Amino acid sequence: MNQRLRVAIVGCGQIADGHISEIQKLKSAELVALCDREPLMAEQAALRHGVAQHYEHFEELLEKERPDVVHITTPPHSHLPLALQAIDSGCHVYVEKPLTPHYQETTRLIRYVEEKRKKLTIGHIYYFDPPALALRELVEQEIIGAPVHVESFYGYNLSGPFGKAILGDGKHWVHQLPGKLFHNNIDHLLNKVVEFIDDERPMIVAHGEIRRTVRFGDARDSMPDELRIMIQGESTSAYATFSSHIKPMAHFLRLYGTRNIAHVDFVARTLVLEQEPTLPSALGRLLPAFNMAKQYRRQGWRNVGRFLRSDFHFFAGMNELISRFYHSILHDTDPPIPYRDILRLSWMMEEIFRQLNHLEEPS
Amino acid sequence: MKVLVTGSNGFLGSALVKRLLETGVKEIRCFVREGSNRARLDLLKERFPSAQIEYYTGTLNSHEDPLGAVKGVDIVYHLAASLGGAPADMFLNTVVASKNLLEAIVTENPTIPLVHISSFSVYGVAHLPKGYTITEETPLENHPERRDPYAFVKWYQEKLLLEYQQRHGFPLIILRPGVIYGPHGSALSGRVGLQLGSIFLHLGGSNILPLSYVENCADAIITAAEHPVSGVSIYNVHDDDLPSSRSYLRAYQREVKRLHPLPIPYPLLQLISKGVEWYHGYSKGQLPAIFTPYKSANLWKGNRFDNSKIKSIGWRQRIPTAEGMRRTFDYFSAIEKESSA
Repeated sequence: MNQRLRVAIVGCGQIADGHISEIQKLKSAELVALCDREPLMAEQAALRHGVAQHYEHFEELLEKERPDVVHITTPPHSHLPLALQAIDSGCHVYVEKPLTPHYQETTRLIRYVEEKRKKLTIGHIYYFDPPALALRELVEQEIIGAPVHVESFYGYNLSGPFGKAILGDGKHWVHQLPGKLFHNNIDHLLNKVVEFIDDERPMIVAHGEIRRTVRFGDARDSMPDELRIMIQGESTSAYATFSSHIKPMAHFLRLYGTRNIAHVDFVARTLVLEQEPTLPSALGRLLPAFNMAKQYRRQGWRNVGRFLRSDFHFFAGMNELISRFYHSILHDTDPPIPYRDILRLSWMMEEIFRQLNHLEEPS
Repeated sequence: MKVLVTGSNGFLGSALVKRLLETGVKEIRCFVREGSNRARLDLLKERFPSAQIEYYTGTLNSHEDPLGAVKGVDIVYHLAASLGGAPADMFLNTVVASKNLLEAIVTENPTIPLVHISSFSVYGVAHLPKGYTITEETPLENHPERRDPYAFVKWYQEKLLLEYQQRHGFPLIILRPGVIYGPHGSALSGRVGLQLGSIFLHLGGSNILPLSYVENCADAIITAAEHPVSGVSIYNVHDDDLPSSRSYLRAYQREVKRLHPLPIPYPLLQLISKGVEWYHGYSKGQLPAIFTPYKSANLWKGNRFDNSKIKSIGWRQRIPTAEGMRRTFDYFSAIEKESSA
């Protein structure tokens, strides 16, 4: 294996820009080529980011560039065939979320990558944001205690660039996914839950609804934008909220443990603990506010420090995930996200969309 | 004569449809996206009951929809373009969309004229001296990747059109407007400055603002389209009696609302731009490179503009600049009053 990985990207849409920027920051890799079936898309990305080669046909890229790693940033329906093709050419694969549109396909891909002794990861980027990493340290140090309940919240901006693209086009690929808007986003909602619920098949109750009033007369009208999920495992439960209407747009995780409650705010990049009062009576009620203020102040200054060290980027989590993935390839260690978690998350999503689409339970 | 207008329900598009109807065009096919706002076109339908205004619903992002749209038309006015969003999406919705339209034209009827609305932003003026007059002969941008996403996609779009024209030979009329303004448009162009929190950074100084009132711009498009052409014709479009950026901003503040302008002289802007560009590179993109010396030189160094070519084929400014500004400011003033009520 080369000490510097040769990396290629297939799919030059919006998220590819993030991948390109983060890969180009790494010393362990060289971005050698881009590919898009629309050659103009590949050309524009290559020109804007100074990437030497771009291709229209994926097989040509694989043959000529011989990359070690391929990032697949195309719409989800094409993830499986492209990933299989890349693996067959000897590549490791970073696949954007959702890994595939169906649990069965996800299972097939994970089995295939294992069989071929290649590595795979999925774009669960917030899982590697600094406060999420800090939370994991607290869990390992048993400061939180045993997880009892998890609350995950993911706010979505339908007026943002991608939201506009979805609402501006009734034929957008998001509308073809079984779980539509949710399918493209709730990986970010659920990957934080999967980590703390160890069950293979927890009980799930999902409810989705449409809160928008504007109607288009096409596929867009049947796209729910609010989702509530209850998950009950053997020892841990979870409540997950996806909302396109709650303002300000929040993105947080609350982990309720037997010792403390942790609150991770992915927008403000803070992690604070709610702790048992140490003093009795009214004094015990007076101190927590000051304790929280102290924690937030400390977190704020930590973020200022990161900013001053140029370590406060939007895609910090993606950069960390890519670094860890490349490290696992170069040193032949386990990939950063366990395959078991990827599979369990995929099953959860399938179950949620089955309930939302009122489909029969699989026998 | 049957015409197709892409971007027909947009700011300039609806003004063009209106002017086409006023000049006697009877059959207009308006390419509109599914579910898009057609209120202004609906009003025109009511106002011109004898005209056939057809809504062709689809997206230029597909290969199929443009094929049906160009069928049976005698001329195509291509105004559709993305004005904002992520760079890749802007490219997709502007350049790839244009490619799909061009493919449809060369498949269905490679002889129909195409009228394309480009922009002043395709010119590469960063290296030219202050006060340089931009004509149609001014060289195009050599480094589009160093410009903002809008300039990048408009440059690419025009390049693509010229390539297709060379290959297929259809008549191509390109209009490069300056700042198109008017009611329903945007209040203040980036050439004037940028809002940063509660402060308005006034970057245009005493530069001439190349305004083109939306109806005058529509007139210019029609004038250029009516002028016989066999290959490629290119026209700059802007009005006469152009105000300076400073006087436009003053008038805006007087008529619409008070801002908190902070004038940034060009030498200081260049210094800031160097700092922003350096920090962007140093921090590996922690803050966006909104200003770079290159971008700033293109937008705010200060050029003069020449519209003599469009005048030479018969275009005359119908709405005087003072009247255009009055109508525009009345519109925005009413919006301000409504929102504060």
